[in-house]
Amino acid sequence: MARTTFKVEVLTPEGEVFNDEVEMIATKTVEGSIGILAKHQPLLAMLDPAELRLYRSESEIVTLAQGEGYLQVAEDGGVLILVEEAHEPAQLDTADLSEKLRAAEEAYARADAHSEEQRLAARDKRRWEAFQRIASGS
Amino acid sequence: MAQRDVKNRIASVKNIQKITRAMEMVAAARLRRAETRIAALRPYAGAIRRMTRQAAEAAGDVPALPILADREQEERVALLLVTADRGLAGAFNSQIIRAGIRAGDDHVAGGREVVYYATGRRGLSSLTFRNRAPEQAFTGFTERPSYANAREISHALTAAYVDGKVDRVEILYNGYISPMSQEVRRETLLPLQKATILDAHEDDAHAAGESNAHALVDYEPEPEEILERLVPDYVEISIFRALLESTASELGARMTAMRSASDNAGEIIDDLTLEMNRARQAEITQEIMEVVAGAEALG
Repeated sequence: MARTTFKVEVLTPEGEVFNDEVEMIATKTVEGSIGILAKHQPLLAMLDPAELRLYRSESEIVTLAQGEGYLQVAEDGGVLILVEEAHEPAQLDTADLSEKLRAAEEAYARADAHSEEQRLAARDKRRWEAFQRIASGS
Repeated sequence: MAQRDVKNRIASVKNIQKITRAMEMVAAARLRRAETRIAALRPYAGAIRRMTRQAAEAAGDVPALPILADREQEERVALLLVTADRGLAGAFNSQIIRAGIRAGDDHVAGGREVVYYATGRRGLSSLTFRNRAPEQAFTGFTERPSYANAREISHALTAAYVDGKVDRVEILYNGYISPMSQEVRRETLLPLQKATILDAHEDDAHAAGESNAHALVDYEPEPEEILERLVPDYVEISIFRALLESTASELGARMTAMRSASDNAGEIIDDLTLEMNRARQAEITQEIMEVVAGAEALG
């Protein structure tokens, strides 16, 4: 039997990438994997770069590579996902990602220990690693 | 000038006019897209503001983050000049360079050291030419900046600020008013003011989603930790907005510059056509006089 659906909007600074009813959301917050069904308790969560899966139904799943962001469940059960970037996995360019990952690793190695520069480079590194995993389908 | 020379000049000016007309139309089409992108940022920026206020309310206050801290002594100031990769856009690039160097000289006169940062190849080459080589330049995207570009710039400036390499960060860019008018804006990016975050803003009206003001909300992780990432997002969003506005301004300026170039070419063509007709008339008159003189000689 089909599950109850709820409204999900995925927004990036460059515009809306998804706005539809879904049965379930699966993604990753900084504290771990999370699945959201209809009538979830109000929530504000911080998202890590990972695969975002939007289940229109059991068989129809929209998959996106999400950058860092936030997920909010409103009182009415609607979900708003704000992410810095969201790409279709097929659009990820593995060569470009390796290049970016290499640059982030270099920046990390070059930065002083415990500096903001190093912390930010580590964030970049994690994002490109996550995207690489999504691009390679594992 | 002989008739043939004038004809050649008219043809070459007409060619130039074709190019400037084409550039004007390309800029106009791109400008519409750039305007759409400015509008597309609003719901996101508004929702980020709303979430920040919600988390700040839950946390009791905005935590004392390094990017919010004013420095007692400002010794070094970073200036980010937002220019374009290309020229042919009237005063677009030069007015930023001029305002940036003036702002820099003011800081130097006040006893502060200035570190330049630039976006756009024009800014990079002009600053280098004027012996103010930027610490870091970001190029190759000014016709279509992405959020990732803004994030890269923001990370470089935030790291410089938090790691104590600079004590203040200012941005200079062409703010977009309309296709015909842009204004140089100078804003302080860091330290970030708490008021900037919590006060009402025009983006609020465009915010997506609904408010959670009275519900019992779960936070993952604690609201204080969420704010540690939400607050720095403001710097990224401010830079992204400046990049988008600068792009729209660049295209508006190019459109206007190319339109007046086309109009000028039109005037030159009119003048040259008049000159050509005069030359032709002179030749005809000359021929008639020769014919008449010949006829008289025969008679």
